[in-house]
This record gives sequence, C-alpha cells and structure tokens, in this order.
Amino acid sequence: MLEASGVMVFYENMLALNNIDLNCPDNGVIGIFGANSAGKSTLMYALSGIILDIQHKEKMRGGERISLFGEIRHNGEAITGLKAHQRAQRGIVLCPERRRLFPESSVFENLAIGGHLATRAQARETMAFVMELFPALKKLTRRAAGFLSGGEQQMVAIGRALMAQPKVLLLDEPLLGLAPSIQHIVVESIPQIRKERNISVIVTEQYARPVIPYVDYAYIIENGSAVMEGTSRELFENPDIKAAYFGCG
Amino acid sequence: MFYDILVYGFIQSLALVLMAFGFSLVYGVSRLPNFAHGAIYVLTGFVAWVFFKQAGLPYFVAAVLAIAAAGLLGVLIYYLILKRVRGMEVSEVIATYAIGLALLEGLRYLGFRGSTYTLPPALDGVSFIFDVPVDHQRIFLVVLGFAMLATIWLLTKYTRIGRALKGVAQDERAAMMLGIDSDVTAAIAVALGSMLAGVAALIIFPLGSLVVEEGYKVLIYAIAVCVVGGLGSWAGTVMAAFVLGYSQYITVAYGKPHFQMVVMLLAIIATLIIRPSGFFGRQKQLQERV
Ligand SMILES: Nc1ncnc2c1ncn2[C@@H]1O[C@H](COP(=O)(O)OP(=O)(O)OP(=O)(O)O)[C@@H](O)[C@H]1O
Ligand SMILES: [Mg+2]
Repeated sequence: MLEASGVMVFYENMLALNNIDLNCPDNGVIGIFGANSAGKSTLMYALSGIILDIQHKEKMRGGERISLFGEIRHNGEAITGLKAHQRAQRGIVLCPERRRLFPESSVFENLAIGGHLATRAQARETMAFVMELFPALKKLTRRAAGFLSGGEQQMVAIGRALMAQPKVLLLDEPLLGLAPSIQHIVVESIPQIRKERNISVIVTEQYARPVIPYVDYAYIIENGSAVMEGTSRELFENPDIKAAYFGCG
Repeated sequence: MFYDILVYGFIQSLALVLMAFGFSLVYGVSRLPNFAHGAIYVLTGFVAWVFFKQAGLPYFVAAVLAIAAAGLLGVLIYYLILKRVRGMEVSEVIATYAIGLALLEGLRYLGFRGSTYTLPPALDGVSFIFDVPVDHQRIFLVVLGFAMLATIWLLTKYTRIGRALKGVAQDERAAMMLGIDSDVTAAIAVALGSMLAGVAALIIFPLGSLVVEEGYKVLIYAIAVCVVGGLGSWAGTVMAAFVLGYSQYITVAYGKPHFQMVVMLLAIIATLIIRPSGFFGRQKQLQERV
C-alpha cells in the first residue's frame, strides 16, 4: 500500500503540487489524469523520490529552490526521506515520461540493466514474462534502443521497469505520442501486469479515455490540486469530467 | 621511416589509451572531471617503488599493492571530497585539481625529486616488427592496453556492477529509478579510473624515469584525448588516442620531440573551437527519439 498525504511541491514560489492525498492499495490500479502542466510528472517524481535528486542537483548548481512538504508512506512506513534508488529497492519503480531508455544499449541490455535489483532467477523469469507481454520485442533484442520506434521504446521501458521487481509500478504518460493501435497494446498490458505480477500500478495520462476501463480509482488534477477523485464509474458519469477528460460531450 | 612511424605511432596510441581511459571512465559515469588523474598516476608509480625498493617486496607484489592502493585512494577521494562538491562544476575542477597538486607537491616535499627513481620493466629484450626494433616492454604495453579494453568491455557486458556503470553513464536518473545508487557507481568509477591510471603508470614509467612532472603531462594528455574523442565517449577516447598518438609520433619522427605537448594543446584548442562535443562523440541519430 502506497499512501501520500499533504504532498506539496514548490518550484521556487510556483506551487506545482498542492496538498495531494493519494492512496494506492495492494494490487490496485490507480489513474491520475490532468492536462499539460497539471503536475502529473511532479507527483510521480515525488512518489518515486526522483524529486529529491532534482532538488539536490538544482541546489548544487545554484539553480532554483525546490521545497517539499507532506508525507509518503509505503506499507505504513514513512519513506519521504528515502532516495530514489532506496525506494526502488522497496519496490517503488518509476517508468518515466518519454521513456528515457539507455539509447546506446541494446534492448536486451536495457532489460539487463533494469534487472540490477533482481536475482539471476528473477531476471530470467521476468525477461521471459516481458517477451510474452510484448511479443514484438522478441526480434528486437539486439537492436540499439535509440533506434526503436516510440511504441517499441515504450514497451522496452515498461519491461525494463518490471525487471526491477516492482511492487508499485509508476507509469508516467505511457501513451504519449503513440499511434492508437500501439496505445492499445500498451494499455492492455496494464491488467495483465496487475494480474500476473500481483502488483499495483499508478498510471498518469492527459486523456483518461484509453486507460479508464482498467483503473479502479482515479484522481483528476488541475494546476497541482486534486479537484476530483472517485471510482472510474463515478468519474465517467460526471458530465464535467466527461467533457474535459474523455473527449466527448 | 614509414614502418618506424607505423609501429611507434601504434605504441604511442596505446600508451595514450592507457593514460586517458581512466579519466574517460570517471567522466562518463560520474560527470566528474578528475584533474587528480595525473597525480594518481605518478603516486602509484612511487608507491610501487617504495614497496619494491624500500620494503623489498617482489616487484609483482609491489605492483599489485600499488594498484590496489590507487583504487582505495579513489574511493576515499570520492566519499571524502568529491561527493560533497559533485554538481558544482567549478568546485569539481578546483577540488580535483587541488587534490592533484597536493599529491604531486607532497611527493616532491617528501624528497622524490630528480630523475634517479626508476621502475623495472616487466620484460627485457628486443624484437623486430617490420624490421623496426621494439623492446619487449613496449610490446607488453600494447598487449596490456588491449587487455584493459577487453576487460572493461567484458565487465560492462557481463557483470551487475559493470552494467550499472553503463546505465548511469547513459542516463543517471533513469538508472536511479531502477535501484542503482549513483554514489556507489561514481565511487566505483573513480576507483577503477585510479586503478587504470596506476596500471598505465607501472607500464609506462619503466620506459623512462619516475618523475613528479609526468603527472602534469599525463593529465594534459588524458584531457586532450578525451576532449578530442568527446568527453564521456569511451569509443571516442580510443579513436582519439590513435589520431593523437600518430600525430605525436610523427612530430617525433621528424625530429621535434618537444612538439608532442604542443600537438596535444593545439588539439584541445582546435576541438573546443571547431566542435566542442568532440570529433568522435556519440552519434546524433542514437539520441532518444521523441
Ligand atoms: N524543474 C522545474 N522547474 C520549474 N518548474 C517546473 C519544473 N518541473 C515542472 N515545472 C512546472 O510544474 C508544473 C507541473 O509540471 P509537470 O511536469 O509535473 O506537469 P505534467 O502534468 O506532467 O505535464 P505534461 O502533461 O506536460 O507532462 C508545470 O507548470 C511546469 O512548468
Ligand atoms: Mg508530465
């Protein structure tokens, strides 16, 4: 169970996340929807601990001041002060926006690096699972990741995150820039991951429509604040939300 | 003359690979420009000399201990100093350069001056390659240069730590998300880089004498190779070592050995003016597609 309470992030004086409370139960799928600059990635960085690295690097190079408030708990323990790699060791693994693959490494090597925390047996087993989840990757294992199409890259990115043996997988805009047919493959992988790996998934998107059938519960954020939350059915039946996030009247 | 340039240019190129690769590795993984690289090179030479000549250990043992000491020094330098300044670019340069100065001037202060110190070659004898006489220590240098590259390559391909280094070198933050600790990888990189400097020293010093001034020279050579090759690009480092190695040897062959340093400095300046990212840097196509 991953919980956030009262999470606030300021970039200098700009409030990017305002008092966010979030609750992700074991083996649940949570959606986070919001327009550009709503604060989705900032929330993902806060949950995964990457925000601490951003904060530290900005401080070292004399850049902007980033202030963090609130608490994040995993299985009841506060992890607010843990660094990203420590949170990954606890099973909170981020698959970032725009994928950030290791471009010069092959697909196989990307997955192998992703298996840093896995035992040999786990790595072998997860690698087989990823190939089953995304059969398109089977013939690409030796290709440099930088040369893949966007859809293929996204599949590798999800596979690489799975290699780290997550308990909570954070997917930041996995459908960004993908053709509808590929979006379908990526979205379909979410229920399969949940079922076969027995883990939770928190997924962000600008448009809720492709993902909403697969989430249990969702939050809508606007300008850093959670303006609405509910089960996917509740949100789907709300006329305002429907117009803004489902792309239909 | 042609074969002379061919053979000795090749040797000089491998010597540059040995001198520069550690610097390149550290920069590639941790983005720290290690200006103490040359000092660690010299220090390893003197540590081996002390173990060998004063402690009376067999040379092989002295060499292994000296290289291990270089690795340990690398870890200490990272955790005690570099970790605290990492990310402040000016401080990184000042701190590493200060460490280098302290080590080199410290050695001078301890009395390691003049050219009376020497390390023994690992191999004696001379062979002829294309009718050019080459002593066995230089052949050993070439073999070890390739062995070092092969070891690093195998390390990054088949070991957990090596793969972590390769991941961090390409995208530090993405590596963190996968559970890789960037302080550990940086410390390992500095340690490995220092050990590579040490290996280079123990192979190259026997060709001349053990002097503190070599530290400054090796630092500039390493920087020149890495700048021309594209900072952080390991393949670029090797290619640049060959271009500069041959250029240097050609100046020697035409009777201007004192131009070797000029070649390196000109290479740095020319690269920074014409193509600051280096001539053999990462290919643009490989950059992430959006
Ligand atoms: N490092 C930063 N420094 C200053 N402002 C930032 C920084 N990162 C994000 N922001 C700002 O914080 C707000 C939230 O950004 P964030 O990237 O979290 O939005 P997002 O919902 O992920 O948007 P998108 O859909 O475009 O990915 C934006 O206004 C953005 O400009
Ligand atoms: Mg975003």
